[in-house]
Amino acid sequence: MHETSLAMGLLDSLNQMAEREKAKKVLKVRVKIGKLSGIVVDSFVFAFNALKEQFPKLAGAELIVEETPTLYRCRACGHEFEVETVFFPECPKCGSVDLELLSGEELEVVDAEIEV
Amino acid sequence: MCDVCGCGQHDHEHEHSHFVVSDDTTKKNVEIKKSLFSENDRVARSNREHFDRHGILAINLISSPGSGKTTLLEKTIEALKDELKIGVLEGDIETERDAERVRAKGAAAVQLTTGGACHLEAPLVHKGFHALEKQMEGYPDILFIENVGNLVCPSSFYLGEHIRVVLISVPEGEDKPAKYPKAFKTSDVFIITKSDLLPYFDFDVEKVKKEALSLNPNLKIFVVSAKTGEGLDEWFNFLREKVQEKKAAKVEG
Repeated sequence: MHETSLAMGLLDSLNQMAEREKAKKVLKVRVKIGKLSGIVVDSFVFAFNALKEQFPKLAGAELIVEETPTLYRCRACGHEFEVETVFFPECPKCGSVDLELLSGEELEVVDAEIEV
Repeated sequence: MCDVCGCGQHDHEHEHSHFVVSDDTTKKNVEIKKSLFSENDRVARSNREHFDRHGILAINLISSPGSGKTTLLEKTIEALKDELKIGVLEGDIETERDAERVRAKGAAAVQLTTGGACHLEAPLVHKGFHALEKQMEGYPDILFIENVGNLVCPSSFYLGEHIRVVLISVPEGEDKPAKYPKAFKTSDVFIITKSDLLPYFDFDVEKVKKEALSLNPNLKIFVVSAKTGEGLDEWFNFLREKVQEKKAAKVEG
């Protein structure tokens, strides 16, 4: 359910950006969502599309979601690997748990295309 | 905290947009590079600065409805109210009931009703804390923020707390950590409540601990019962220790 709050926050900030840039409308917005972010992408897209009608400049905006994988680097041996699970993994090469998370927690608005 | 309502002096982060000019003159690309949580996180950071400045230990309690967050708070207030000033922000969708419960035990409390939202967000905590300061005519040593009963959404919203506590009660079942990984990954403390019911449920404490630690190796775990008092002293001592650390950090700072 918090996807709705986040979608509303995104629309608000896009609307402010559109005002600031004196845009006629926003055409596209690109967001990156990691698999560990706790966001259900379908719910987020649904909420975005349901709520965008409230903002005249955003009503036609297309939301492009890029899902990023859960990627770790092992600090012991340097091996980089991707996992599907949310559980804390071990390095498949050397068994170490001293890992650095490279991606997976992203929740970022990357950019937007606007018409001026 | 107070850059939000203008009652303090802080640096503001200003936004800059970067243009990438494309061939089509009527279209342009605006680089944003901003977290979806950026507004919440900005207010949360300012909440935290405010807590730090006044040496307040802030604790965010997260669990399903009915795990015993309010009961644990009642016991904690009874035990610590003579040595520490305790303030509580009670998050619920509706009613003042929980705030009334903890006030009856002798703590200051402000009820935050979200009116439908399934989690607390930093701006509501900011507003609620100002109301609490007024009620207390000063600052608490410990601030408990009792989140809306929900193991999912509250784990995504940082409120400015120093310690996040996730609770599950024995009757809820031993598969909670595996089913709600984010709550366990983002917490610092895990409390298993209603341990007096262990004889009646298939709840393997060691298995649950192991599963929780595999999600988050840094979790500190307590097993408690508000009914029998089991494990409560360890929890109280942990709080005393953390309050001391906070006060010491304030003196040094």
